[in-house]
Amino acid sequence: MNRTLRIAALAALASSFFAGAQESRDYFKVGVDLELSGDLGTDGNFAKRGYEMWANAVNEAGGILIGKKKYKVQLAYADNQSVPAQGASAAERLITQEHVDFMFGPYSSGVTIATSPVVEKYKVPMIGGPESPNVWLRKPQYTFGTIPPVNFTGAGTVDTLMALSPKPQSAVVVGLNDPFSKSVATSFKDAFEKRGVKVLKFDIVPPGQDLTPLLSVMKGMEPDIVAYGGHDEDLIKFVKSMHQINFSPKGLIMHYGITGPAFFEALKADANQIFGAAVWTETTKTSSKILWPNSEAFAKAGMKAYGVPVDYDIAGCAAGGIAFQVALQRINAAPPLDEAKREQLMKALEAVDVDTFYGHIKFATEGEFFHSNTAMKILTLQIQNGQAKVVGPPSDMEAKPQYPMVPWDKR
Amino acid sequence: MVLLPQALVDGIMLGATYIIIAIAFSMVYGVMHVIDFAVGEWIMLGSFTGFYLTLWIKIDPLYLLPLVFIIFSTLGYFLQPVVQRVLSGHRGNPLLMALVFTFGLSMMIRGLAQTIFGFYSHSIPSYFSTRSFFIKEGSFFITISAVRLTGLIYAVVITGALNYLLKFTDFGLGVRALAMNKDAAALMGVNNRSTNKFLFGIYTGISAMTGVLIGTILSISANMGGDYTIFAFFVVVLAGMGYLAGVPAAAFVLGLIQSMFLVYLDPGFTLVAVFGLLYLILVISPTGLFRKGWG
Repeated sequence: MNRTLRIAALAALASSFFAGAQESRDYFKVGVDLELSGDLGTDGNFAKRGYEMWANAVNEAGGILIGKKKYKVQLAYADNQSVPAQGASAAERLITQEHVDFMFGPYSSGVTIATSPVVEKYKVPMIGGPESPNVWLRKPQYTFGTIPPVNFTGAGTVDTLMALSPKPQSAVVVGLNDPFSKSVATSFKDAFEKRGVKVLKFDIVPPGQDLTPLLSVMKGMEPDIVAYGGHDEDLIKFVKSMHQINFSPKGLIMHYGITGPAFFEALKADANQIFGAAVWTETTKTSSKILWPNSEAFAKAGMKAYGVPVDYDIAGCAAGGIAFQVALQRINAAPPLDEAKREQLMKALEAVDVDTFYGHIKFATEGEFFHSNTAMKILTLQIQNGQAKVVGPPSDMEAKPQYPMVPWDKR
Repeated sequence: MVLLPQALVDGIMLGATYIIIAIAFSMVYGVMHVIDFAVGEWIMLGSFTGFYLTLWIKIDPLYLLPLVFIIFSTLGYFLQPVVQRVLSGHRGNPLLMALVFTFGLSMMIRGLAQTIFGFYSHSIPSYFSTRSFFIKEGSFFITISAVRLTGLIYAVVITGALNYLLKFTDFGLGVRALAMNKDAAALMGVNNRSTNKFLFGIYTGISAMTGVLIGTILSISANMGGDYTIFAFFVVVLAGMGYLAGVPAAAFVLGLIQSMFLVYLDPGFTLVAVFGLLYLILVISPTGLFRKGWG
């Protein structure tokens, strides 16, 4: 009994020591649970740039002003290897061992779905970049997203296409079998059907396979539009396979993802005239008083830091940091944050209503988009001469949509 | 029915890709009994080498295949003794050790590649990857991509060359003798060490050339290796572990099943069908389609 008591006393002493160590911390420790390797390593590393840009900008400004003191931020990384189970255990490690105050979440919807119960269990607010609506359907209390879900944005792209001449009459839709890509494909299918476009074929296919035979079938159907939901490497494979069998529909949509530098670099002229969607580009008109005054300033900072253009993923992730900043200031929370403060932080995030370089941030607090930022304007993009141009809605148009697209063999 | 000729052609083209992924892998298993988990990583490294050589030298990547072969066969030649040491040491289960070793090697190569090449996906530009032939006869039509046709020709050439090497040369005789009985072959004067070095070099060289072709047909990234390792395993198990002559047939079976599923059945179940077949083969005939693989 004596021995048990001694062990218990030692444990209590140790925990008070660590708790004491936490209390003396004068900076915010931010966990970053990301796809730094694995199948979604490209997008995860983009998200990392956004978080890094925010942390560097905050620290260069002296930190986050809480009361009269500025607190710097320090990022603690964990690589979830693009695997949902790894994402959940990485979050647990960041919370229980690194004692992070709040978290930046995964890029992938699948990993976010696995991670959100963990942050909910420990009451640690997390902002990430998932784009699948499935993330928000179960109303995760501590998970937030700055990039609107694809079913919110997909319809906007289809609307732009419907205004073109000749008006699309038919479409084929393909999506990879993962939460994000499947949602993209489904949102396209629903949007086409609601607007009277006949969907000739709709398939959800396993990732990692060569889709040429399927494309041959689709070519025989002669659809006006081909819509595809997938990630960067698959988008490139898809376009190359279309070109190889000379399958040229009138329009090709690939939603988010066409703005990444890899897409144009890999496809060159084949990338031209492909449509996509975004909520932010470096020319989006925004105005902000926090860190970066507008889109252009953020784009310049990104180019200076990484030597390549920044896309909506990076911008959305950096804007997530600003949302935390605003919420922390609202509740006047100095580091480290205990459970009660983290709960307050979650509630403060729900109340965030701020203009940033990225656009307006206001998280939905009810409905199917619960905790996703739905205050953004949906833009339709098209790659024209190697650059993503806004071609819709008309109020934001930078260039006229090029439609029908020039067949591959005439380029 | 209108789609049948196209489905068959696409299946054959896919099969050709699987041949070039698996044939050298099968050869190395047949002789050295090494299941190289890093096969996909050799393909990945070859594709990046092709990508950068194309950027620097500015000639079509398909003309670079011999150079890529030389680079990687030299690398494989000098790496083989390390693998051999794992296989021939006084360890409990050398085959299992080799498996773990190559698995570790694949993880290491992938991690290094991500650090060196970055996380972007790329594509190797080639004149052939933008050309195709269109044949129409009545309501039937076939589109054949030039780069995939090149892949098929490459598969035929590689299969033919390996067949010639193994069946009509002294080196091949030595390889076959080693595959049958190492001790007896050594007693007959076959140099086990040098033969294995050459063999491993040929394997890494062919895998790297395959990477260049895949980069021109599809896309490349530091993470691409895993998928190709799985397909190489599939073909080799279907063909019969170590049974080289079964590889082309197994690869075409895989390609045609995939194509037929994508065209006529539910594309969502393609991989289920492919791996369902693999399971059946393992249950009914563990030594492969032709019952000639290692048991």
